[in-house]
Amino acid sequence: MSYYFAIIGTKDNPLFEYEFGTSKQGGDGQPRFSEHARHFNQFIIHSSIDIVEEVQWTNGQLYLKGIDKVFNNYISCFMTGGNVKFLLLHLPPHTGSSPAAPSSAAAAAQAAASNRSSTSIGANPGSAQTDEAVKNFMTEVYDNYVKAIMSPFYKVNMEIKSPVFRQRVAAAGRKYL
Amino acid sequence: MTVFALIIINKAGGLIYHRTFHEGGLNKISTNDYLVLAGTFHGVHAITARLNPIPQQINRNSASSAGIMTRPEPPSGLEVLESENFRLQCFSTLTGIKFLLFTDTTQTNVDLTMRRVYEMYTDYVMKNPFYQLEMPVRCELFERKLTSYIREVNNR
Amino acid sequence: MAHLAPNKPSSGKESAGLRYPTNGKTIYHRPLNRSKTAELSQASFAYLFSEMVSYAQRKVTGIQDLEKRLNNQGHPIGLKLLDLLLIREPPRSQARPLNIITLLHFIKINLWQHLFGRQADRLEKSSDPEAQDEYMIIDNEPLVNAFISVPKEMSQLNCAAFVAGIIEGVCDGAAFPARVTAHTVGTKDEGEMWPGKTVFLVKFQPEVLEREALIGKA
Repeated sequence: MSYYFAIIGTKDNPLFEYEFGTSKQGGDGQPRFSEHARHFNQFIIHSSIDIVEEVQWTNGQLYLKGIDKVFNNYISCFMTGGNVKFLLLHLPPHTGSSPAAPSSAAAAAQAAASNRSSTSIGANPGSAQTDEAVKNFMTEVYDNYVKAIMSPFYKVNMEIKSPVFRQRVAAAGRKYL
Repeated sequence: MTVFALIIINKAGGLIYHRTFHEGGLNKISTNDYLVLAGTFHGVHAITARLNPIPQQINRNSASSAGIMTRPEPPSGLEVLESENFRLQCFSTLTGIKFLLFTDTTQTNVDLTMRRVYEMYTDYVMKNPFYQLEMPVRCELFERKLTSYIREVNNR
Repeated sequence: MAHLAPNKPSSGKESAGLRYPTNGKTIYHRPLNRSKTAELSQASFAYLFSEMVSYAQRKVTGIQDLEKRLNNQGHPIGLKLLDLLLIREPPRSQARPLNIITLLHFIKINLWQHLFGRQADRLEKSSDPEAQDEYMIIDNEPLVNAFISVPKEMSQLNCAAFVAGIIEGVCDGAAFPARVTAHTVGTKDEGEMWPGKTVFLVKFQPEVLEREALIGKA
């Protein structure tokens, strides 16, 4: 399971992005996106903003759950009160190497990991369990995001550069995903 | 028991506020006379302060022997002036502003009244962004709160 | 923004130029709810606000300009408070405001409670059929004006424009763009009791009403 997490500002501008892999079921926490997919992820996330903007007015919850699926990429969204979007793209492991099929050792390790983790949240992106895990992750990031904007030097739609924030997001990823 | 009037003098001796609460207690004098009164009182107050007989030296010695540096009490100068018909109480703040209350000779608890007036001054004058230091006080809220407080004191 | 952000957060390049507090605790180490019920000295706020008004008055061209500046000082506070107040809600009732009424209730109750320790006094919709985009939040004695006497030559001014800015920030943040202005209405018979009575006039942008109508239909 590989994850791409992005925070999108109110003007559809990226504020923060982070790639990571699963740490559950013996995962090493490293993303397994191919070079091609890494660039493509941004397009997928960007295109799903349109869907978010439709969903956001029918659902007052902060966590909007899974809102989009492109090929095998599942996209979950969390919306803050200030209309900043947290978008998480997850890519289940068995398709991790399919787009560009790199024949590296990493892919072999990936395949081994996927066999092991067939019951993990990573392998079932649509399950209620995954949903709950993503929700917990988002809630924890939201907590840290609110702390970030409380800084008197932070203005809305500014890129979040704090290394502590990045550490916190990484920790939340390790904890829940 | 009646509070007749209040005068506030800034640290340069200028009149920044005067108000009469009770007609007939004092003779009416013109604003110009009030200015002169304020200036004169300021001068007299300054001279009486220097008449203070307590030598500063002793103060300093006792402070240093105790090992604690304390600021010597500033010489206070004229505090009360009594005539047959009225009593004048003066309160000088640390910043050199003087509050003068003219009351009936039988008035009690003038200290307390003075304290409340000073409190109102710090609240409604000093916390007002439109008040310039040392300038005449023109604050509607101060005016209003003062009126209702003095009315309460005079009807007690 | 650089795409390939490093996964290792503690690379030397990133932390260069950043100074941590001596105890190593940053804003991220402080719980968000600790100061939830904390109160602040009104006197210290009064002195600070007094200086803020004086600051806004520098080289000002007129009353409107001054109100605009006070409004601008409040705006970012509103944007930030919106998220802070949402996260402090219990998870069950944690919801983004989706329509004007929910949003205004959030302001009247949550925002006011947080800022001033009590709710706003009234919430009204404009009775003028020409102005269906206008709502009024009424405060009988705004805390920010507690010690302020506006000079006669500036009688148009209401320093609660700062609070109006905070409200505007909350509305803008929640995607309900609006113009909010503060007006003194302490007149006539009511003036005796509440001389500082202030109306915050919230005028929403046309697109907000358009969307409201669409959502209402759906």
